[in-house]
Amino acid sequence: MHCRSAAFVAAALFSAASFAAPDAVKGEIAARLKAQAPGIAAAEYVNGAAAFDTELRARVDENAAAGAASVEAGKKLWNAKFADGKSLGSCFPNGGRRVAASYPLYDPRLKRVVTLEMAVNQCRRAHKETFWEATDPATMGAALAYVRSLSNGVKVAVRVPAAAEDRFEQGRRLYFTRMGQRNFACASCHVQGAGKRYTDTPLSPAIGQATHWPVIRDDAPVTLQARMRECLELMGAAPFAAGSDELNHLEYFLTYLSNGLPLKANAWRPRSP
Amino acid sequence: MPRTAVAAALAACAIAVPALAQNSALDLFTRRDKGHCIACHQLPAGAGPETRADLGPKLEGARMRELGKPELRNAINDPMVANPETVMPPYGRHRVLEPAEIERLVEFLHALP
Repeated sequence: MHCRSAAFVAAALFSAASFAAPDAVKGEIAARLKAQAPGIAAAEYVNGAAAFDTELRARVDENAAAGAASVEAGKKLWNAKFADGKSLGSCFPNGGRRVAASYPLYDPRLKRVVTLEMAVNQCRRAHKETFWEATDPATMGAALAYVRSLSNGVKVAVRVPAAAEDRFEQGRRLYFTRMGQRNFACASCHVQGAGKRYTDTPLSPAIGQATHWPVIRDDAPVTLQARMRECLELMGAAPFAAGSDELNHLEYFLTYLSNGLPLKANAWRPRSP
Repeated sequence: MPRTAVAAALAACAIAVPALAQNSALDLFTRRDKGHCIACHQLPAGAGPETRADLGPKLEGARMRELGKPELRNAINDPMVANPETVMPPYGRHRVLEPAEIERLVEFLHALP
């Protein structure tokens, strides 16, 4: 590629004022990650930070069963009968098996990006049950730990139809926009700094980041949007609310980047230093 | 203890404690609510906590003195002026650190071994 056109593509993908097709965005980020860490195979990205640290990888593997209690608690919640006799499982195809890999999805009727958490709450509302708080470990976190475990090994397959490209673009822009007192963008750490060590731990790459949620930290499930909120706080920014369009679009963009990689829910993570 | 012995003991302590340990800017370097520079940069051995952080370059005294205090000050205040792509926070421009704190950090970095 000529330098001029390469510069144009880079500007198109990494500036906040442009637009690029989702597959081109993903391709450019993949190329950049590969150039920065040629020794790490793309399939390893599902391990997040542990892809860059054999010691951390060993600890993750040792704690592979850390999510068992959350999955069990989530299974009970998933199968619990509502007042009308239905259950969460009744709202999803195959009782929720192999569905997680297609979330978030664009709902053309609502004209909104719908996350798995939103779909769970839509089900609860349809059956006249109370909403669960989107990041509560005891309810939504546990339910996600279970239903996402039913898709372990299923490859992420998030679709971005033409009607949803602007939502994807909003998520991409947010990912690359510097925010907060520390002036970081998500991409500062997870694209530009992927694999480098921050507070002694490698930074996870943007691709693969959406595959292993919820993670299990201190024996509790932490959802992707809960973690995004923690990151925003570290950046010195007021975090967007879980379930807001901002975080939903961010999750939509981020999960699309993991298309083709297998889901691996309930990965153990150490407490942040 | 005779006065001369006390003076000798104090002098010995002053020699034993590295100059950097006496520089209170180390807390600005390590605290999450201040610079938290330690998250990205390694210090020379003995100058502070050992880490494997490498999001930013390792800070060597010789390099710090080569840059000089004005450039160090500018880099801490707003590193994007010299490098728009940097991920280093603009500690002065975004008021993460007060001017006096930036000066303490400049002295700390300039005195690194």
